[in-house]
Amino acid sequence: MAEFRFLGYLAEIYGKKNVEISLGNPRRLRDILVVEFPEDRSIILINQRVGNFDSVIRNGDRVVIMPMISGG
Amino acid sequence: MEAYAGKILRVNLSDGKISKEKISEEMREKFLGGRGFAAKILWDEVSGVDPLSEENKIIFSTGPLTGLPLPSSGKMVIASKSPLTGGYGDGNIGSMAAVHLRRAGYDVLIVEGRSETPCYIAIQDEEVKILDARDLWGRTTFESQDGLEAKHGRNIGVLAIGPAGENMVGFANVISQRGRAGGRPGMGAVMGSKNLKAVVVKGTGKIPVFDEERLREMGKEGYGEIKGKENYDFWIRQGTMQVFEWCDENSCLPTYNFREGTFQFSKRLDGYALEGVKVDRKGCPLCNMQCGNIIKDLENKNTELDYESVGMLGPNIAMDDLRKVGVLNRMADEYGLDTISLGSCLGFLMEASERGLIDARIAWGDLDTCKKVIEDIVKKRGLGEIIFGGVRKAAERVGGDSRDWAMHVKGLEISAYDCHACPGMALSYGTSPIGAHHKDAWVISWEISTDRFSYSREKVEKVVELQRLRGGLFESMTTCRLPWIEVNFGIHWYPKYLEAVRGEGMSQEALFELGDRIYALIRSYWIRENGRWSREMDYPPSRWFEEPLSQGNLKGYKLDRARYDEMLSGYYEIRGWDEHGIPHRETLEGLGLGDVAGVLGKHG
Repeated sequence: MAEFRFLGYLAEIYGKKNVEISLGNPRRLRDILVVEFPEDRSIILINQRVGNFDSVIRNGDRVVIMPMISGG
Repeated sequence: MEAYAGKILRVNLSDGKISKEKISEEMREKFLGGRGFAAKILWDEVSGVDPLSEENKIIFSTGPLTGLPLPSSGKMVIASKSPLTGGYGDGNIGSMAAVHLRRAGYDVLIVEGRSETPCYIAIQDEEVKILDARDLWGRTTFESQDGLEAKHGRNIGVLAIGPAGENMVGFANVISQRGRAGGRPGMGAVMGSKNLKAVVVKGTGKIPVFDEERLREMGKEGYGEIKGKENYDFWIRQGTMQVFEWCDENSCLPTYNFREGTFQFSKRLDGYALEGVKVDRKGCPLCNMQCGNIIKDLENKNTELDYESVGMLGPNIAMDDLRKVGVLNRMADEYGLDTISLGSCLGFLMEASERGLIDARIAWGDLDTCKKVIEDIVKKRGLGEIIFGGVRKAAERVGGDSRDWAMHVKGLEISAYDCHACPGMALSYGTSPIGAHHKDAWVISWEISTDRFSYSREKVEKVVELQRLRGGLFESMTTCRLPWIEVNFGIHWYPKYLEAVRGEGMSQEALFELGDRIYALIRSYWIRENGRWSREMDYPPSRWFEEPLSQGNLKGYKLDRARYDEMLSGYYEIRGWDEHGIPHRETLEGLGLGDVAGVLGKHG
């Protein structure tokens, strides 16, 4: 299983805040999520390392997809 | 040049003299407005004085975009020599007072001297009076707003202090419209030292604009663009509280006096928890993305929450219920205390109590004791007598190793972002021109999206770029930065707005130079007023270097002192400052601050 977490309004775009998906083979993030995100306004962390929508995700990965916010 | 009301209003409370002065073309060209004007006036007029003395001055300053039909333009800067830090202090505030001041024909109000008895200044266009405020003295900011509206009508702008400002608490601020706050480095205390309870403004004139039709069209387009942004609806629901969950996930939530970056009860406090108890929202004039979230607190009273207040009065003191946070937040707003510094001061006392450095017992998350301490702070008694001057002074008094975890830079308490694993944000706090505050350069998103653990030159450059835009341009135009930074409203609009109001544009190079000039002037002010300077003044507290995070995804992380120091050297180099953080003569001269260079030479 790979774990996905969506923060802020990106959770609304995806429709859920958290989801676990079993991946048979490693797959690109954009192929797993299907939904379109504002890529230039999103940050992807895969096991705390910076990734992108073309990063390959494997079972056991923890992926956080969050908006590029600006902290007031 | 159009775009300016054109005058400085000067009120001397010692002799009652009221004068109106023209703002010079050079001043407009070199300093634009808002923070730029305030820094220039303080440099020229306030030197070597006790911040709470009659000789200090307080500046209420607007910019060329203030009060115009443009997104979130109802802002002004309040600045003075800070009693909390001893250096340059300012804060921006959203208030009808900003709009009315411009409509009354003034860009800037300077208040100097000290009244014998409590007073307030009432401005209605050309008519300016100093009026008796004895009946308001001792009243909260909410009661003062009500009292002044009863006398002058509701269509006014009010800037008021509460009992905290009257009693000159170091982190007393200024409140408008029952919850809009500004001036965290003790601007309320400066008003209190002058026996100035409030400023009331009503303006009925028109703000001059070079091309009014074009400005109106572009303003309308701007408001429309904001409403169409993809995250607009989410913003309206949560406002800055969206940051809470984000910070918890990324280990930068201020927790237990900045020991940790995540909080075990964060779900009780985050933006979704807020949505569950929110009853209304409010905001500043001319804004269509109002950020004030109103909830009913535990005592069933309305209080206006934002992320900074919840971060500092929530996880930083282990308060685990949003309605409890609301009680403390409301008390702070009523008394006129800065919520960020208050949260840091309460956290400091809790840690001091835990370590046995003070006799009194104040436990983490203890609401009732916090309420009593707030009363004590306002009255400067009990624990309040230790902490009313902020955590830096409290650490001097409490002793032990408390200097290491007194969470401030230059005497100003750190706002709500833990930096154990955010070197860029630590540099931003270290070099912020008022002490540790986030408004000039919040760089955490950018550093997490690249490499949060690096101490790269690129990161230093990003901090400088943000300081130029947020701290230079937005603070001087003077308009709110949130449309740009929070819903991605196009920054390209602002030079166009400036051109429409001023009749002439400003290149990106000129805008960056403006920011650099203001930064160099403010840094020079700190050095002159401090009398000496060293790079240690630009360091965050030892806690972030010495005590790693013990919880969360980033357990074990802390800042690296040597690498932070390298970043700081890079920062000085980009700014044209020497290895101690003092601007080079050539830098000042290149920015048109030759007169400053002459004075600063004596203090290097």
